[in-house]
Amino acid sequence: MEGDIMNIGAGLAIGLGAIGPGIGIGMLASKAMEALGRNPEAGGQIQQNMILAIAFTEAIAIYALVVAIIIKFV
Amino acid sequence: MAKLLGSPKALSITIVIAAVFVVSILGGALGNSLGFGFLSSSLPAIQLPAEIVVQGFDTPVGDWDLMNTMVTTWLAIIVLAVVAIFVRKGLSEVPGRLQALFELVMEFFINLCESIAGPENGRRFFPLVFTIFIFIVVANWMGILPGFGTIGRVADPSEIAHHHGVHHYSDPAEDQGHQTGSSHKKASGHGEEHSGHLEKVNLHVFSGTGGIAILQPGSLNEEITFHDYEEAHGDVGEGKRAGHLVPFLRSANTDVNMTLAMALIAMVMVHYWGLSILGSLTHLGKFINFKDGPIGFFVGILEIISEFAKIISFTFRLFGNIFAGEVLLMAMGFLLPMIGIIPFLGLELFVGVIQALIFSMLTLVFASMASVAHGDEEHH
Repeated sequence: MEGDIMNIGAGLAIGLGAIGPGIGIGMLASKAMEALGRNPEAGGQIQQNMILAIAFTEAIAIYALVVAIIIKFV
Repeated sequence: MAKLLGSPKALSITIVIAAVFVVSILGGALGNSLGFGFLSSSLPAIQLPAEIVVQGFDTPVGDWDLMNTMVTTWLAIIVLAVVAIFVRKGLSEVPGRLQALFELVMEFFINLCESIAGPENGRRFFPLVFTIFIFIVVANWMGILPGFGTIGRVADPSEIAHHHGVHHYSDPAEDQGHQTGSSHKKASGHGEEHSGHLEKVNLHVFSGTGGIAILQPGSLNEEITFHDYEEAHGDVGEGKRAGHLVPFLRSANTDVNMTLAMALIAMVMVHYWGLSILGSLTHLGKFINFKDGPIGFFVGILEIISEFAKIISFTFRLFGNIFAGEVLLMAMGFLLPMIGIIPFLGLELFVGVIQALIFSMLTLVFASMASVAHGDEEHH
């Protein structure tokens, strides 16, 4: 019983934790595409900065993932 | 699609790929419920801390266990050192293929450093940034080679019980020499005592009793619960033993100690550069600030907190990505063994290089941020 609730907790942790970064990465990519459309010559720089910003956003999902993994396996 | 199916060559390739995938699905855990499952083995025991390969070295500074991530870290260092010596020896005016590859990567990074941190500081930051990059790439890519996480020794049930917080567990297999009556009493007593800890733990049954073991393909049903193991008095069959696989090799960055160490090195160097480029007063003035009134003071405190947040995010970004990748590969090897796992191996190659790039890029960006005083930034 305890194990079942822990499984649900792990699922919720990563599931809820992925919502924010998902929205964030979507917004980031859409803005980057817009910028690329306006100014195609800056493609390289836009891509570089986009990847960096996505890494920051994704880190939040990774924290949720780590919490889920800890609930499940520790 | 119509064009694809029109040409006989493309059509036959498509059919072969589809057939291979069907075989993979049937051979895996899904096919097992239909009576197949000939390719997959049961899911290995996933453990967050690194596993112990050799227990208890007696060193002057206390007992040391040899962890499997430590083995891999040293392997990665050896590989890098050998490649470095090899490239250095063959260095020539007209680059060979290996040298051209390294020149390409190094040039990319030098340009990156110089474009972000300026020509002078870029050269100063380059060695650490590039070292972090190649080390993480090599360590991550080594982690998906065959043999990692699959070949190892067998941990016996008492070691597993110890790991789950049950100490002084006596293995019923070793008790068998005594009279059966008392042994049985003991075993049933264990069952009650440890039911909370061990009832969810499954043991794998390995054939053979040598020092090296693998989870063989087609051994999906060779699993036994702790309770059944005690019921059987540790007897799982002739020439077989129960336990967990402890792999000899495990991807280096699936250990928090490793990523934390790298994050600390990176942040200590960032602050060393901040101190040496700006001078200690200017650099520390960013964090302990009395000049701009109470708001400036609070901003300084926030800066201190954000420095620690950087260490934590460095640590868990790399660790989380690589550990999740390992778990993903294990789960996919369980569901779609041998063939269905190939796209995920490609994904892990990509994740490995992206995470290395992010770690080194962030080190570079933080370093170039630390080497600029606050006043300068605002006047841009």
